[in-house]
Amino acid sequence: APALSSQLIVAMATAPHTWLRLVPSCRSYSKATRLHKIDYPWKDEPKPHWVRQFEARRVDADLTPENRDWLRQWRLQRVRDAVASSSEAAAAASPLKEPPAARPLWTPRVSQRCGLVGIKLGILPMWYRNGQKVHTTVVQIPDQRVLRWVPPEDLGNYASLREMRPYRLNQSFLPRWLTQQRWGLQLVGAVPADPANFTAQWCGIFKAAGLPPMRKISRFLVSPDASLQPGACLGLHHFRVGDCVDVVARTVNRGFQGVMERHLMEGGPAAHGSTKFHRKMGSAAGGGGPIYRGKRMPGVMGNRFRAARSLPVLRVNTKHRLLFIKGFTPGPPHSYCQIMDSWMLDVRRSLDANPPPMPTYFAEDAPEGGYPEDVYHPDLLPYDQPLELPD
Amino acid sequence: SIQLEMPPAPSAAAGSCALSLGSRFLFGCRVTAAHRFAASPVQPPSPLHQQPHLQPCRQGRRWLRPEFRGVYKPRLSPEAMKEFWRLSGIGPDHSRAKVADQQAEVPPEIKRLYQEALPPIVSQDYRDPIVESLHRAEMMRRRRVINIPEFHVGSILAVSVMDKHAPNKVNRFVGLCILRRHTGLFTTFTLRNMVDQVCVQIEYELYSPSIVSIQLLKLERRLDDNLLYLMDAPHSHCTIPFDMVPEPYSRNDPVPVNRERVRLNPPPWMCKWHLHGYQGIDLEHLYSYLSDKDVAKAIEFSKAYKRYDLLDQYLNRVPVPDADYAFKDIFIQHQELLQHQQQQQQSSKKSEVISKLTGTA
Repeated sequence: APALSSQLIVAMATAPHTWLRLVPSCRSYSKATRLHKIDYPWKDEPKPHWVRQFEARRVDADLTPENRDWLRQWRLQRVRDAVASSSEAAAAASPLKEPPAARPLWTPRVSQRCGLVGIKLGILPMWYRNGQKVHTTVVQIPDQRVLRWVPPEDLGNYASLREMRPYRLNQSFLPRWLTQQRWGLQLVGAVPADPANFTAQWCGIFKAAGLPPMRKISRFLVSPDASLQPGACLGLHHFRVGDCVDVVARTVNRGFQGVMERHLMEGGPAAHGSTKFHRKMGSAAGGGGPIYRGKRMPGVMGNRFRAARSLPVLRVNTKHRLLFIKGFTPGPPHSYCQIMDSWMLDVRRSLDANPPPMPTYFAEDAPEGGYPEDVYHPDLLPYDQPLELPD
Repeated sequence: SIQLEMPPAPSAAAGSCALSLGSRFLFGCRVTAAHRFAASPVQPPSPLHQQPHLQPCRQGRRWLRPEFRGVYKPRLSPEAMKEFWRLSGIGPDHSRAKVADQQAEVPPEIKRLYQEALPPIVSQDYRDPIVESLHRAEMMRRRRVINIPEFHVGSILAVSVMDKHAPNKVNRFVGLCILRRHTGLFTTFTLRNMVDQVCVQIEYELYSPSIVSIQLLKLERRLDDNLLYLMDAPHSHCTIPFDMVPEPYSRNDPVPVNRERVRLNPPPWMCKWHLHGYQGIDLEHLYSYLSDKDVAKAIEFSKAYKRYDLLDQYLNRVPVPDADYAFKDIFIQHQELLQHQQQQQQSSKKSEVISKLTGTA
């Protein structure tokens, strides 16, 4: 709701950005779930990395503290006004603005919608109507707007000019989203904040779209028929209860870890005369041959982008703008995550039968009387209802 | 606002390096806690206690760090210091009764009924106010369906859960509560009893909807937070008849404490019970089974030095403002719950009257 946006802005503007977390790990994953392919740490660099977001904080000695505070409130009020004027409620309420252009239809095997940026808050347990317990991840959907659309034709230009290590693009392996040119890139900005927090270069990214500067920029692979123009509002009801989503986020940073923790290697015997060989790797190569790229060795564990696939949305809370997603998602609490329509084939086929709002949710899609505070999945048991098991 | 006074600084007559060293030991560990908790802005110290920024010393001039300059040193009167230690909730002389004084707005029965409403004791990175408020709201919603009585470790409960394989579709178990873990909707409690000369321990989730009823048979408290040592105790301590009659209790009276000391079976034990500070075990009898070395270790553990370990107390305790907020939130919802129960009683009475008048069953 628009009334909550300003609170969110102030709360999120004062919240810290994602930071390095060192957490003792627990070996709760199995070898089968590990990805057996070579990947590089710099592949997961956040983009755009060619624009500096933060700079050393300037202390304006000419301003008195009172004037400094007044100017900050004036800036925040301008941000709130910009957010409110571009919100979906404002678009619905304004009689002067033209109605949006004809909305595209969901095309099976072609359409891929934009996603949402979320902030993972924590975990809440719930129960199904058959008595089974389910853990739900609570994800908050902050204020976000569409920033830019890069069509598939311009992907080569967009990518090649921006890669930090251009020799990676000369290799034979190129990512498919770049070679197929089937989907374009949709840039989405989230969490509007005080412009004084950022550099002028960062604020300039949002100026072209007429938006206030935001803390987080994410990009989604979107089909051209579901593309959104700059300034479009993405809201909580973009996903419905029952939709299966993929959640992509940076995993918890576990710090520098050895091979036993990081790659689940066996190590050595604890006793029986073992001399200084208890947690080591052992051999790195065979027969005097070279050590190949990607050899599993100690290093920083975690802090990589990983996706949790095909998680259904079980509950939607409109008061705090929350999505309750079944299961567990990567990342620590208060970290950003990307939520998008699942890429799994069975989910895509089910969406063909029950298409979601295209290209995104607009106020005209709302049901009569609006949404209640909590929308539950039919299989989920609210806590104020007793459990009734069938005989 | 608290008037902060600085304790007297060492005399400037001592050498400059000695002065800074002395100031480090004097001020470094004493006053920082007060400074963190100070509500009002720190007043600048008087010139007498202020150290110069550049301290002349033998190899030139040494730049004194702010904490040694006297810039941030607050001035604390003894009364203000006492008040600070009382509000902080930690310290060697602190007790539970003193913490309760400051939450005078919330009645004490709320803290007894809703012990799991406290936020979890974890790092601040993993805590979120929205998620905690959701936990509390869902807890109160569940309490509209089922009555969850007040119970502590040492109380005797009868729990009925839904069981499709049972004859009446309900499975009833009576036991002594030996453990109560976690917070919010994750709260669990473990009941222990003897069934056909076999020890049985069942862990229930307090807010699981498959629980039909929780009946309190005996309200009691023990000297410990958990009674896991009963696993190595004679079975007579946890044998409770399934047809036990519930004992009446009053909510206004304090919870009775059972100060019995259990004599454990001879070793081997499941755990080193002498190293956990249990008060409910007969220690003389326990030490008779141990070697001198183990007894010395156990005695050193129980020397109660931990009451002076402030960091341990700070890390293993819920911050008092957070606990205060949680109980106030719960108190408001508790009053709504009572109203809801009154309305339900009235509507059920109405339906009874209507059915009598119309002659329906």
